[in-house]
Amino acid sequence: MMSAFQRFGTLSERQFNRLVLTLMSLGFLALIAAGTAAGWLMLRNQDHTRWLVHTYQVEQQINLFRLDLERTETARRGLLIEPTARFRQVFDQGTRALGPDIDRLATLTSDNSAQYADIAELRRRVAEMAGVARASVALIDQGRRADALERFSLDGSVERVRAIRSLTERMLERERALLLERDRQQRDSVHTFFVALGILAVLLVLVGISSLVAIRRYTTALSESRGELKTLNESLEDLVEERTSDLKRANDEIQRFAYIVSHDLRSPLVNVLGFTAELDAALKPLDALISRADEAAPGLIDDQSRIAVREDVPEAIGFIRSSTQKMDRLINAILKLSREGRRTITPEPLDMTQLAHGVADGLHHRIAELGAEIHVAAELPAIVSDRLAIEQIMSNLVENAVKYLQPGRPGRIEIRGHRIGLRAIFEVQDNGRGIDPKDHARIFDLFRRSGVQDQPGEGIGLAHVRALAYRLGGTIDCASALGEGATFRLSLPLRYSEEQKVTS
Amino acid sequence: MTKEQPVTIVMIEDDEGHARLIEKNIRRAGISNAIRHFVDGTSALDYLYNDQNGPTHGGPALVLLDLNLPDMSGTDILARIKGEGVLKRTPVVVLTTTDDKVEIQRCYDLGCNVYITKPVNYESFAEAIRQLGLFLSVIQVPEVEAE
Repeated sequence: MMSAFQRFGTLSERQFNRLVLTLMSLGFLALIAAGTAAGWLMLRNQDHTRWLVHTYQVEQQINLFRLDLERTETARRGLLIEPTARFRQVFDQGTRALGPDIDRLATLTSDNSAQYADIAELRRRVAEMAGVARASVALIDQGRRADALERFSLDGSVERVRAIRSLTERMLERERALLLERDRQQRDSVHTFFVALGILAVLLVLVGISSLVAIRRYTTALSESRGELKTLNESLEDLVEERTSDLKRANDEIQRFAYIVSHDLRSPLVNVLGFTAELDAALKPLDALISRADEAAPGLIDDQSRIAVREDVPEAIGFIRSSTQKMDRLINAILKLSREGRRTITPEPLDMTQLAHGVADGLHHRIAELGAEIHVAAELPAIVSDRLAIEQIMSNLVENAVKYLQPGRPGRIEIRGHRIGLRAIFEVQDNGRGIDPKDHARIFDLFRRSGVQDQPGEGIGLAHVRALAYRLGGTIDCASALGEGATFRLSLPLRYSEEQKVTS
Repeated sequence: MTKEQPVTIVMIEDDEGHARLIEKNIRRAGISNAIRHFVDGTSALDYLYNDQNGPTHGGPALVLLDLNLPDMSGTDILARIKGEGVLKRTPVVVLTTTDDKVEIQRCYDLGCNVYITKPVNYESFAEAIRQLGLFLSVIQVPEVEAE
């Protein structure tokens, strides 16, 4: 039993539901069975009562018949003693009643073959008796009372009546025996009913107990898991804090790594460029030497040497220089990003409308040069955040918008903003050349660019924007289609807090 | 004691290439002062403080200091030079690859006289070195007066 209980404790919700459903169905079935048993018992009772009534009817009918018989016999004897009209009347009534009495008895006992046989016998005896009685009464009517009296003692009427009596007695006995049998049956069915009821009651009690135990187990498990949840919930805070500090450490590590790597990469680069310049400088006397040699002894320098000094080496130097310079720019970008990541954020209240105007004014010349216009919405939501970072983000976004305008279309750049709950959304929209949707995620990666590469740049601006946005607990995304302009959507917390930074 | 004592240039630079480039540019700028080159901080400090010909015991010096050294940080050397004793007035030129504002600030706070970022743009680097030559000729004057 205990192991079964323990099993309840580990029930899954589905198993539990199935179990409760089964138990309830079982209980219902038991109730239905009990009801059916009660109904059956009632029907049996009704049946029994009907048979009881039937027995009494039969008994009554037999008694009625016997009464009529006695009356007839008594009237005949009365007539024998004193032939009055009154006796005569009773006799007539009696003889007339005997036939119907037997008929009724026959109808009542038609289902019982033994009784039926007795009734046939009865009918015969009564007919005989009635015949004899009528003959005797006929003699009296003729005034031959003495003959009638004589005949009375000889005709065996007394025996006949006695036989009829015993016959009816037998019938009564049989009917009573039947009744007794039915009583026994009735008692049996009542017994069966109670036994069934007992079994059902036990079953119901068992179902009830199991349901109760299951529910109890389940609720205990529920409250236990609720308690566990509560504990988990409480420890979650600690866990988050722990993870946060882990993340912070990892992030710091990466920042430091990026810094050291990029810093140390610059060192050899200085050498490459420096000595390239030395090479370049060394070329000058060589070049002069060739010129002088050509003058003094034409034909001394072959074309191969001349081409090497005047074309091949300068070309090689040019490539080395431009590649190293590009490498330097990339390293600088990584350095800048890593430095930005290490910078302490100093949140302050920012009037974003003013800030956006400042950014727009900073680009005023270029915008005017391109014949574009920039529009800043009247009321941008104010936030508390790091001024430098926000300025950097906004100016990078607006610069990008200016940089990638669609040629031949008057540029229009719009800066909008609104609040959603505890966040501020800023949008920089342009009608420029747009960004292919497949590049929307890519453009925020470092050194990745999209579209025709006709503008200077290393693919750093948006990477920087995203790094800054993340740092401030914000997000940045882009909605655009080729040729239809782009909208950059910056979502920032209204109030910068240290935790937001990491959880975002 | 001679009034004209040439300034020794003490170059603390672990990268041989850089050292060579710096030297070449110094020479090209027309500066003929002696250059003592050290590739690590320990030997450089030993020279600065203990060597008979070093600036502590000998003549005036100018320190060209790289911040990334294998055995110690250049800022430690800078702090040591500027923090105490006889070398306090020795001009220190920090020459490094970092253009980190915080680092530059720190060097100036420690008393560095000039901070030069080793630029990859070689022309401006050479120009900076030439200006350093000019600087060298200027600092010789107070040295002379100090004697």
